[in-house]
Amino acid sequence: MVLVALAGMVVGYWANAAFFPGTSPQQPIDFSHKVHAGDNEIPCQYCHVQARRSVSAGVPSVNKCMGCHLEVATDRPQVRLLTNYWESGEPVPWIKVHDLPDFVHFTHKRHVAAGIECQTCHGAVESMDVVSREAPVKMGLCLACHRENEVEHGTDCWTCHK
Amino acid sequence: MSNVDRREFLKLVGAGGVGVGAGFMLAESAKHPLEHLIPYAVPPEEFSSGVATWYNSVCGMCPAGCGISVRTREGRAKKIEGNPSHPVSQGRLCALGQAGLQVLYNPDRLSSPLLLDGASGSFRPATWVEGVDKVAGALSSARNVVVLSRGIRGHLAQIFERFAGSLSSANLLQYDFAHEDALYVGNRESFGIDRLPYYDIANTRYLVSFGADYLNGWISPVHHSLGFGTSRQGGHDRGYFVQVEPRMSVSGASADRWVPANPGTEGLLALGIAQQIVAMGGYSGADRDAWTSTLAPYDIASVSQRTGVNDDIVRQIAEGFMHTRPGLAITGGAATRHVNGVNTAIAVNTLNYIAGNVGIEGGILFNPAAPLATTGEENRGAYESLANLVTHAENGSIDALLVYDTDPVFTMPADSGFREALEKIPFVASLSSFMDETTAMADVVLPSHTYLESWGDDVPEPGVGFSVGAVSQPVVAPLYNTQAVGDTLIAIAAHMGHSDAIPWASTEECIKDGWRQVHAQGGSGDFDAFWRSLLQAGVYGRNIRDTRAVSLDPTVVAGMDANEPTFSGNAATYPFTLHPYTSMRMHDGRGANLPWMLELPDAMTSVVYSSWVEINPVTAEELGVRQGDVVEISSEHGSVTAPVYVYPAIMPDVVAMPVGQGHSKLGRYAKNRGSNPLSIVAAQTDAKSGSLAWAATRVSVAPTGQRAKLVTMSGESRELGRNIVQTTGGAAGSAGHSAKLNSIPIKVEAV
Repeated sequence: MVLVALAGMVVGYWANAAFFPGTSPQQPIDFSHKVHAGDNEIPCQYCHVQARRSVSAGVPSVNKCMGCHLEVATDRPQVRLLTNYWESGEPVPWIKVHDLPDFVHFTHKRHVAAGIECQTCHGAVESMDVVSREAPVKMGLCLACHRENEVEHGTDCWTCHK
Repeated sequence: MSNVDRREFLKLVGAGGVGVGAGFMLAESAKHPLEHLIPYAVPPEEFSSGVATWYNSVCGMCPAGCGISVRTREGRAKKIEGNPSHPVSQGRLCALGQAGLQVLYNPDRLSSPLLLDGASGSFRPATWVEGVDKVAGALSSARNVVVLSRGIRGHLAQIFERFAGSLSSANLLQYDFAHEDALYVGNRESFGIDRLPYYDIANTRYLVSFGADYLNGWISPVHHSLGFGTSRQGGHDRGYFVQVEPRMSVSGASADRWVPANPGTEGLLALGIAQQIVAMGGYSGADRDAWTSTLAPYDIASVSQRTGVNDDIVRQIAEGFMHTRPGLAITGGAATRHVNGVNTAIAVNTLNYIAGNVGIEGGILFNPAAPLATTGEENRGAYESLANLVTHAENGSIDALLVYDTDPVFTMPADSGFREALEKIPFVASLSSFMDETTAMADVVLPSHTYLESWGDDVPEPGVGFSVGAVSQPVVAPLYNTQAVGDTLIAIAAHMGHSDAIPWASTEECIKDGWRQVHAQGGSGDFDAFWRSLLQAGVYGRNIRDTRAVSLDPTVVAGMDANEPTFSGNAATYPFTLHPYTSMRMHDGRGANLPWMLELPDAMTSVVYSSWVEINPVTAEELGVRQGDVVEISSEHGSVTAPVYVYPAIMPDVVAMPVGQGHSKLGRYAKNRGSNPLSIVAAQTDAKSGSLAWAATRVSVAPTGQRAKLVTMSGESRELGRNIVQTTGGAAGSAGHSAKLNSIPIKVEAV
């Protein structure tokens, strides 16, 4: 009976991970990376301007979005939602999809400078209507890449855990 | 499997179902919590998420006026460091300055205006409109108003002045407990100069400090610590430091020679040294004969007898001070808080003058005028002006009091009657940021921004020998519903119909306007560029020096009374002199609500949290008390209790207590912790400066029979053969580790 219960736990755990991954949460606006980065070929760093300058890539400020959407596709319902935020002076409360634990020190600036494609860690975002966490951003991925590119001190604990 | 019956089957299904549910929940709980990525609607121009922005400003934690650089991220202040361009702090900052973050983020900060609810006797939150309306209404009908604030330097003082000027009869009064009134009066009487001179510790080779704990709190501790380091290790002859004080301070512990002198006789000792120098031919001025006769009463025998300092030591210091050039003598702290405080300051000036240390590098250099038009020192009041306020309040001739960021209910002795007087004033409004003892007695509280959220400017005091001014700018947006104090005054004046009295729309405008004048006097380029570079640098200086030659007339010293101090309380009933001392941790008590300062071990005793009383081991044995015994320290004016800290470096007839704790208000960290020695000192003043003689009270010490755990970091102060304090004798290294160590024998309680 204990064995059956344990087996049940494994099944439950797997079912949760497989069917409720939580890697593509419901965002306040149904923003499509496919439309922006894919179909219209807007470069990633046009909006995520901080990526090459800062530890965090950042999300665009509302006025950045409105830079285009004052003119472009103003009648679409999701763009209207954005305009509402803009008119009330409120930021859009986006939900994080890619999130590293607090004990990992990761800096975008360094990786962008090294010429790593965004897609290496974030997956083919330009083909996603709803962004989900596709690449397994775990320690193994970091180490494999660091080893492959022979990063100096790339496998030292303190390089990331500091 | 064939013999699974129905009951068994249901059990297995149940177990499996519970297992699946548990596994599902386990996976759910292992997920990251939902996190948001919230951008700005419109980001500030210089903002990058994840990238720190540094702002230069001025520290507001004590009146030294150090320059600070504050690291902010995403609009939050994260770390405060010293501004490397500022000549006072030169990139360094003391512990209290670092703890400025805990003022900003303090959970006990007042976050909105408060009105006293007459029926319940407690405060209720209010709007700014209500609060300003109430204060303006009360001030309109008041005949006599007193505006009492901490020392305010720079252009903000102008708003206070104009505000007071707009009321029909208002007194402007600035009071800081730790202000060195006696030094100012002493300098004025000696040299006719109002501002403090620059004490050039960095370049001196022989410093004699009469009671000034220049490394741990005295007027500008960061700058003096830098000077101390330079003098000791600056790549030239090592400076020699002598510290004269009844209780060893941090500066005493760092000195080459610590000289305990009877409390209050520091000035006598300075004159005794001066007399020796003149007698040895070290003074060659035209008025040498006049000085010889003026200093004749301070011959070595009588000085030695009155100060309790061995005549050989007096002679050695005199010789050292005369022959080691340049030399510098300073005084302050408890030494200038006796009834003869100004005389002590004059005596030390005399010593500097006789030894030829005035106006030279490594001695005393006078400070030129500041680039700012106002220094704000004009409205400074000593203790005596608050004592007058008490008298007037008792007469009922004060109708309203406006108090800002000064806490006399805590720092004034109970004997002064300040608390009772405050109760008699019909209307009290406080503009302070915290619910301190004085604010708690207010009718209306209009809380101000902290210094990290406000505009201001400053002239460091003491200056650094050339003309310096600094600007402080907000480094973060206001955290709460508070206002800049200048803006509050402007709002009150406008509400009373005096909007023309203060010509600026905001504090920022006032500060900017002041610097427009500075720019007009010699700034380069257009003002906007000047202002921008000023804010980036945080400080502005001009290479102007004050090289005037001053002379000190022997009659100033001749006119001094006999220099013997007097004490409150007779020696038979109150056998000990109470030596309260201030430190960098607590300053005048403002550090007591900052957990970092409470956790920071005191530099000499290593005690954290709470208060203590330092007693000489011999005295402790006579009294029959051990470390940690709670004793009652009583003066004629009250008593406090504190645990004993047995301290070998204090004179046997002196007991010392740190100032700053023993609050009844000021928030959760400060409240009901430790005891306040200032509450039991006698309300006697130094007649010449009007400052409180807080080191001139005699006390008795009696065991209460209780014990308290003193939390110290050092454990045992004795060496106990642990080989932790190793000294080498004459033949260094010959006996190695097996040598008997010259550990200092200290008589403490039986083990």
